[in-house]
Amino acid sequence: MLDLLDISKPFADLDAPVDLETERAITRWLHAEVRLLDAERYQEWLTRCIDPDIRYWMPDMETRRRDDPRGMFAYGEAAYFDDSWKELEIRVKRYNEPSAWADNPQTRHLHQISNIEVNATEDPTLFAVHSVFTNVRNRNEADQDIVHGRREDVLRAGPGGYRLLRRRVFIVQNVLLSKNLNTFF
Amino acid sequence: MCDTGCAGNAGRPNMAPVYPKAGRYPDYARLVDRNRAQVDRRVFVDEGVYQAELQQIFARSWLFLAHESQIPNPGDFIRTSMGEDDVIVVRQRDRTVRAFLNSCPHRGNRVCMVDAGSKARGFICNYHGWSFGIDGGLRGTDGKVYEKDETFEKAQIGLTPVAQVDSYKGLIFGTFDPNAPSLLEFFGPFTFYLDIMLDNDEGGTEFIGGAIKSEIDCNWKFPAENFVGDILHAFWTHQSGAQAILGGGVDLGKRYDELAFQASVYGHGIETNLDKVGNTRTLGYPELVDYVFDLSERARDRLGDLRSRAIGAISSCTIFPNFSFLPGQNTFRVWHPRGPGKIELVVWTLVNKNAPDHIKELYRKGVMMTFSPGGVFEMDDGENWEYSTRVNQGFVTRQQPLHYALGLQSADLDRDLPGHIHKGSLNDANQRLFYTRWAEFMEHDNWTDLQNGETAPPQKTASAAE
Repeated sequence: MLDLLDISKPFADLDAPVDLETERAITRWLHAEVRLLDAERYQEWLTRCIDPDIRYWMPDMETRRRDDPRGMFAYGEAAYFDDSWKELEIRVKRYNEPSAWADNPQTRHLHQISNIEVNATEDPTLFAVHSVFTNVRNRNEADQDIVHGRREDVLRAGPGGYRLLRRRVFIVQNVLLSKNLNTFF
Repeated sequence: MCDTGCAGNAGRPNMAPVYPKAGRYPDYARLVDRNRAQVDRRVFVDEGVYQAELQQIFARSWLFLAHESQIPNPGDFIRTSMGEDDVIVVRQRDRTVRAFLNSCPHRGNRVCMVDAGSKARGFICNYHGWSFGIDGGLRGTDGKVYEKDETFEKAQIGLTPVAQVDSYKGLIFGTFDPNAPSLLEFFGPFTFYLDIMLDNDEGGTEFIGGAIKSEIDCNWKFPAENFVGDILHAFWTHQSGAQAILGGGVDLGKRYDELAFQASVYGHGIETNLDKVGNTRTLGYPELVDYVFDLSERARDRLGDLRSRAIGAISSCTIFPNFSFLPGQNTFRVWHPRGPGKIELVVWTLVNKNAPDHIKELYRKGVMMTFSPGGVFEMDDGENWEYSTRVNQGFVTRQQPLHYALGLQSADLDRDLPGHIHKGSLNDANQRLFYTRWAEFMEHDNWTDLQNGETAPPQKTASAAE
């Protein structure tokens, strides 16, 4: 397996920026993806954006000394997400139940994506994409949760367009300053 | 400062640890009305009540600190809370575990800024470089300026130790009260039920690495009472999660009427349906259900028939005051109070050490999928507890009593099990006893009264349960 597809491994140096046309296309794809999430069109997100071989990981972040070899996170330990297609599908099923009370009444979502960097890889069908996000959720009268983080994505180009094959999500919070995570990143 | 003659010289500080004395708060104790099975909402929002809880409950009870497996080697440590007090739990060179307030006796700053670490030689305060050994003793100060002062009594100074630390089958607890009874006495015969999770196979248990921490704007007692005996909420609150994972609603099993019960000792409580795998099934991985079926068979000799049926059953448990777990789903958690209206929730996953690696991995993912902030069950709990708390800011609202009266006639005097037994898990019995225990802590300033009140276990043995 390419290192690129190993969910436990970070990207190597991102030093192969793609041509403007590819960068534009992938940027548009990222914007369209979060528009689906903002609209809670989760099933459509799953079928249109997510590759069947998806690995989707968001570890818990710890505060550790700089000289601690474990670092802020470790693959195989506690995580918010460590999903294949099957796990993502279960989460989406819950959203689609009328009794998903944390989403009924509806949450107002916003994902802002920026700092997009698109890089070519040794496989011409795969692209290494770095981006950062601000996610705002607001519900009821004044319940607001804001999560900031960065993402390391691998997109696969296929006949139907791009699909998300791997996503590593790193938020900046140690204690999650929210009661739940009723969204995807 | 002038009690030694006051010729321009100050007396020397007394740096001995100070362990707060308990008081008596009968007015607060009366907020729990046992005769009417109702609770006054001020227990969830009143700042005076909250400060009394820190003094009466969190400064006296045995509180969960860590699992032995998190700090296997000398110098391994984790940072946690006891109530709102920041605490370091560290393995000593003689392999015992000690715990200390994470506060420098010089100016009070934290001496440990990280969540955990391994093989530490000590802790150094960032402010003036006072350094402490893993035994809590002061080793030195930056530049030895203090050491050069001839009145400086270095040997008298150290991190304040947690008064007692002890462990039960892998779980380490501590209390700030030097006069508290032993951990085993604090549990009483409730260990009978703890062993369902902690001693169901050879080799003991361990926590999977890492912890998920989150904040919920609720009073700490709402989640604690939820786990002590509220399976009722699962049907309504968690209907969506059950549909997503199981394709159907929560099922209490065919023999509910015959098997299900609640048990309570000193406010600790468990509710279970003895349906073998109902909780495990909700993790969504059939391999785990097979594993627990096999485990349940094997555990029959160890735990007896009744408890072997509880390993994966639909069930939940709280150790008074704020440590909870779900058998079968293997999520262990502490609801740390952060004021009357806020908690920090810390969640771990427990597995048997001898479980195959792929089983441990499925528990890790299963807990993540269900009982973590993005999990399909926990997702819907937080908002309930937040609004149960927040609405009581309303002056008139908080004058209205809350109803805890399900199962008033359900005491089971025939079943020979440890503790107060009530028939059926759909019952408020354990929650009433949880709040009765809370009231006992408010009422009493001594452990003799605390251990001999209404929540104390009725005298009987567990032998007939086998």
